[in-house]
Amino acid sequence: MSDENAVEARAARKIYGQGAGAVTALDGVSLLIRKGEFFTLLGPSGCGKTTLLKLIAGFESPTEGQILLDGTDITYDPPNRRPVNTVFQSYALFPHLTVADNIGFGLRMQGRPKREVADTVARMLALVRLEAMADRKPGQLSGGQQQRVALARALAPSPKVLLLDEPLSALDLQLRKEMQVELKRLQVETGITFVFVTHDQEEALTMSDRIGVMQAGRLLQVGDPRAIYTRPANRFVASFIGESNFLTGTRDGDTLALGAGPRLTATAMDGAPASGPVTAAIRPEQVRIVQGGGEGIPATVVRSVYFGTDTHAVVALTDGTEITVRMQSPASGDAGLAPGQEVRLTFEPGALIVLPEVA
Amino acid sequence: MSGDPQQAAAARRGWLLSAPALLLLAVGATGPLAIMLVYSFLEPGDYGNVEWALSFEAWFNVILNRDIFDGTLSFADAHLSIFWRSAKLALLTTLFAFVVGFPTAWFIATRNAGARTALLFLITIPFWTNLLIRTFAINQIIRNEGFLNTFLLWIGAIDQPIVMLYTDFAVFLGMTYVYLPLMVLPLFAAIDRFDMALLQAGYDLYASRWQILRHVIVPVVKPGIIAGSILVFIPALGAYVTPRILGGGRNMMIGNFIELQFGQGRNWPLGAALSVVLLVLVSAALIVYTRFATGGDKPHG
Repeated sequence: MSDENAVEARAARKIYGQGAGAVTALDGVSLLIRKGEFFTLLGPSGCGKTTLLKLIAGFESPTEGQILLDGTDITYDPPNRRPVNTVFQSYALFPHLTVADNIGFGLRMQGRPKREVADTVARMLALVRLEAMADRKPGQLSGGQQQRVALARALAPSPKVLLLDEPLSALDLQLRKEMQVELKRLQVETGITFVFVTHDQEEALTMSDRIGVMQAGRLLQVGDPRAIYTRPANRFVASFIGESNFLTGTRDGDTLALGAGPRLTATAMDGAPASGPVTAAIRPEQVRIVQGGGEGIPATVVRSVYFGTDTHAVVALTDGTEITVRMQSPASGDAGLAPGQEVRLTFEPGALIVLPEVA
Repeated sequence: MSGDPQQAAAARRGWLLSAPALLLLAVGATGPLAIMLVYSFLEPGDYGNVEWALSFEAWFNVILNRDIFDGTLSFADAHLSIFWRSAKLALLTTLFAFVVGFPTAWFIATRNAGARTALLFLITIPFWTNLLIRTFAINQIIRNEGFLNTFLLWIGAIDQPIVMLYTDFAVFLGMTYVYLPLMVLPLFAAIDRFDMALLQAGYDLYASRWQILRHVIVPVVKPGIIAGSILVFIPALGAYVTPRILGGGRNMMIGNFIELQFGQGRNWPLGAALSVVLLVLVSAALIVYTRFATGGDKPHG
């Protein structure tokens, strides 16, 4: 089992400060990161994802718990003794060294032969397509180029795990999209385990093999992007990744009763109460609006907003609960929804998820 | 570079505005220098001053001695030992000021904003007092009946006072104390701009703490090290007050020796020649140092 996992955190807890001023940054996180996967730690700022990254890098040691690399306990090894490298948010390139010397820094510190350093640097420059910039100083490069140097520098010593601390946050949107593709390509080409930290859910969904969602020092859910999106483990995950409509009702087996109103078919997540009051979630794009009678849940249109490809409509159920519906805009651009209009809502079975918390 | 006439006009106005300062610098820097150069080729007057007659005697006397009785030539050992002592003490002072000043500057630069202001303020406090007074204070501490010896005698560490005053050590100690802030301030400015994330990056890339110091910190803050060293070395080489008070009459440095020629020695041309030698020594040291310091920046691979 242990040879399948690149990184393992066992009940890692990190508390900053002491006494009344103590802050729990990480509240007992256990996590397995598999070899060769692109793993993303996703969460809002202050959720502890960067702290977890620092524990893996060795810049901090946990107050309690263990960190294992390839099955070996590295909890108290200093960063320079760990075969783990980091791409920093600010890049932290050495301003006095050329691009080539920056990339070769780790290898030189390891005391590798000059020949090997030169060969690896040349290979890395080619990998990030910066051959022409080898003799420039970091100050003469654009943000995207600096980013690629930082990547090459961290990849050059062939670490077992590459840690990336929100590396794309300083780039503009266009460049960020390009670098997302580039990062994914590098990960596939090198086969190195990537642990990527971000607060951008779209970035996490498009790049990752698996995602760990964190909040308030806890790991809430780990899974592949589809599982995280379609089967959120709780209300926080459902609202942080994509948008969700939340409905409260009473569960009875596979059905959910909304007040005195309609009974809906719902899929329950693990840990959801078998009966009684519950919260359920449904994605805006999973709801369909049917005009002119027929099957479905009765609702009234509150407003509709045109977004180009999409049209967002807000409708109110009979009990007053507002639901956002996202639909593709028709060719005419006008979805034909007027405020006050009576419509019916339908959705596929399995779209409505009962969450594991009591309403 | 650009042919924009408005920019050219602005540049001309800039020159015009700085003209008074430039004029003052030109006259103030080259004037006395020219006088010294001319004086060094004249004959000494009987009661100081100079006789307007061309003579190379002063330059001759800088390194050579003519015996008063038989006229044989020998090296002016006394002069050479003064040059050597000056260079040695100035270098030691610079080195020690760096060794002590670097951790100090690092400490200050890594404090929070409030503590940093307070500490920098403390560094500048010695400048409030006259140099002479401060040097006499050092004198009071290290003389045979001074604080240090009295204390050491009292705790029984020694049974005879250690002779520190009027030695090269006293001069070195005094100069290090006086010039230390000149090392700390430029180092602080350089370290303050240093991105601390570079330490983590170096540490992450397998560098030991020593390697980080050598391969990351020192090269990045090098401009501060160069500036601090120059600011300490130049005044230390020409120091006058400190060797006068702490070195007594015997342990002279170039500055004291030059003063002697213009004072009791009544040999202005020799003093002038020595001044020019000092200037040449400083310039040569600066050129060598900056070449060496910036040349060490070459890639290792």
